[in-house]
Amino acid sequence: MQGELSERPLTPQELLDLKNKRTGLAIFQFTWILVFVCLMFVHWWIRGQSPVWPPEGVAKHGVLVPTIMTLALVASSFSARHANHAMKADDRDTFFRHWRIMIGLGALFVLVMAVEWLLVPVSGQYSNLFRVLVGFHGVHALAIGAFLLRVYRNARAGAYSARHFWPVEAAAGLWYFVTVAWILFYVVLYWS
Amino acid sequence: MASISVPVGGVPTQAAPRPRLRASDFLRWSVDHKIIGVQYMVTSFVFFLVGGTLAMLIRWELLTPNLDLVQTGSQYNSLFSVHGLVMIFLWIIPMFAGFGNYLVPLMLGAKDMAFPWLNAFAFWLIPPAGILMLGSMLVGAPEAGWTQYPPLSTLFSGDGQTLAALAVHLLGISSILGAINFIVTIKNMRPAGMSYWQMPLFVWAILATSIIVVMATPFLAGGLTLLILDRIAGTTFFDANRGGDVLLWQNVFWFYSHPAVYIMVLPGMGVLSDVLTTHSRKPIFGYKMVALSSLAIALVGFTVWAHHMFTSLQPALRIPFMITSMIIAVPTGIKIFSWLGTIWGGKIRFTSAMLFSLGFLSMFVIGGITGVMLAMIPFNLHVHDTYFVVSHLHFVLFGGSVFAIYSGIYHWFPKITGRMLNERLGRWHFVLTYLGFFFTFFPMHFIGMLGMPRRVAVYLPEFQGLNTIASISSFVLGLSTFLLVINVIISLRNGRIAGANPWRSLTLEWATTSPPPATNFIGDPVMFPDPYGYGMPEAAAYLESIDRQFGAPARPPVTDKPAPGVTVVESGD
Repeated sequence: MQGELSERPLTPQELLDLKNKRTGLAIFQFTWILVFVCLMFVHWWIRGQSPVWPPEGVAKHGVLVPTIMTLALVASSFSARHANHAMKADDRDTFFRHWRIMIGLGALFVLVMAVEWLLVPVSGQYSNLFRVLVGFHGVHALAIGAFLLRVYRNARAGAYSARHFWPVEAAAGLWYFVTVAWILFYVVLYWS
Repeated sequence: MASISVPVGGVPTQAAPRPRLRASDFLRWSVDHKIIGVQYMVTSFVFFLVGGTLAMLIRWELLTPNLDLVQTGSQYNSLFSVHGLVMIFLWIIPMFAGFGNYLVPLMLGAKDMAFPWLNAFAFWLIPPAGILMLGSMLVGAPEAGWTQYPPLSTLFSGDGQTLAALAVHLLGISSILGAINFIVTIKNMRPAGMSYWQMPLFVWAILATSIIVVMATPFLAGGLTLLILDRIAGTTFFDANRGGDVLLWQNVFWFYSHPAVYIMVLPGMGVLSDVLTTHSRKPIFGYKMVALSSLAIALVGFTVWAHHMFTSLQPALRIPFMITSMIIAVPTGIKIFSWLGTIWGGKIRFTSAMLFSLGFLSMFVIGGITGVMLAMIPFNLHVHDTYFVVSHLHFVLFGGSVFAIYSGIYHWFPKITGRMLNERLGRWHFVLTYLGFFFTFFPMHFIGMLGMPRRVAVYLPEFQGLNTIASISSFVLGLSTFLLVINVIISLRNGRIAGANPWRSLTLEWATTSPPPATNFIGDPVMFPDPYGYGMPEAAAYLESIDRQFGAPARPPVTDKPAPGVTVVESGD
């Protein structure tokens, strides 16, 4: 019975729904990444107000830990991709393995960046910008992370399959968004 | 002169298998795009009345050069600030979202929007945002104008400014979600056989508008986030004393808000393209150019923002922004001339919808020309922050957008409710609105060029004459709004039964009953290949088949001879 059901090709209505959701997610990723672009612009503008950057007497952010964390986040995005493909191939074991790796690396990223956020010495605009950018990204990472956990719980309950995979794909897509948004901020905060 | 179509002989008037909707259906959560559309329209109209009341108070205060209605300048500041915020974010933008919601799926022959739940969610962000906005007047009202420039909005406004910023933030998110929905619906849900080049121009306009929303509104979200943080979290992005910069806000804000003026007018232009063709029985002149000029306006609109800051901009940057600002008049001009070409030699029916569209054409041209004047740096420096600017923006936003909204209401009310609005009241509404509007805002050009600054409650006595004319006309304009309200109330009960297609229009929203059933169409709608193919023999046959299938409009009241100014024509164009 189960097998028969999954053999049936998707109806035109189901295909249209899937296409709509994919287009909608893509537009959402595009539009909301522009908020991050806006904050990049703000960062450049504010630093242009100061003759030297970081302002005199303020230590530059250490770059080593964030770089490792960035790599962890990028790695977690690859796990998301593997997990997403595994679900479409009905390969549950691979899905769970990669989904767990993704959540683990993501949680590590959020935790370490939260510590960085708390430890940054207060220094006017320099720390303001750091806290607003990292905090703004962190809020998104947490919200989308909560969604990843929920998808994990539902998957454990057997909610998804090679036919019904949209929440998995959406969660992966949103996690790519978190990664790309962070790479923008990483470049601005540490390398520009 | 108006003319009324008489149904083809032998066709029964619509026997109404109509959805029995009660008022309470519009007060609760629904995912039907038609109910959501009406919810948008009614909600935003309520805010229009609120914003209009504030405008009346402003004009009352300006009757005399001294303070009389308000006790302090601060009270006056909050009046015009909330007036602007309400009119822009709670009236024009959501009103057009309402039109889009109701019409886009119907025009595409679809059952609903792509994401019905998201659609409802986007709407239900608006009432709380409206409450926040109006509540802001009670807790230390915002005083920084709708543009919310710091330091006025950071150092000199009360807590209401925070609430207003939060409200605008919510409305921005609502508008982004709505736009995503529109783009996906238009891209993926066109019926088989309808290419982009066969879409009604209203759908094109909504598409261009939605593209602007998803590209511009994120910048408003970013800017407002920083403004709110500056107000409540102690950051100093806009505090020049502590390493911030007030011009940062102006750049981010206008990078959103200049494209946003096209968010407010492009859907109106779409309404015009549909109304002018239908009521002059002619194909649109230059369909592709009208469609593409919407996209051109959308894209060029992103390159002109700094013309709002000519007085504070580095002089070297002024010239490029002057040039781009003038270039944007080109696609706009294409539209104006296309519309003139459309009605030229047409069989024009001066219905209320048509009158308001013609009103848009004339008033928007004035607003457009003053726009080009303002783009010229020397002139701009002279009239910066004067009533000339107030006049310009009201000519494009009221003479443009609001006239288009009125036109759209008269045009689509029969589809939404199944009954016609009263044309006689409609014509009175038009005449009073047109005259009231013109004599409110036209004198402001002179007031501005004589040097009266905007946003002040106290002015020099020599400006009183023109200000009195403006104020008295504005009261006429304000009262004229109630003619529409009365018309709607009367027509909902006693209006003439509209039938499926009272205007004999070729777009798909008319190829179903009025109001449409819950699934929009019974069976698959049959599309006419050219949405503006008026005058073709096939078009007449198509219109007849719609009448036969869904019932024709009720006959107008029988009189021996037609009323003066009304000709009865046999249908079948």
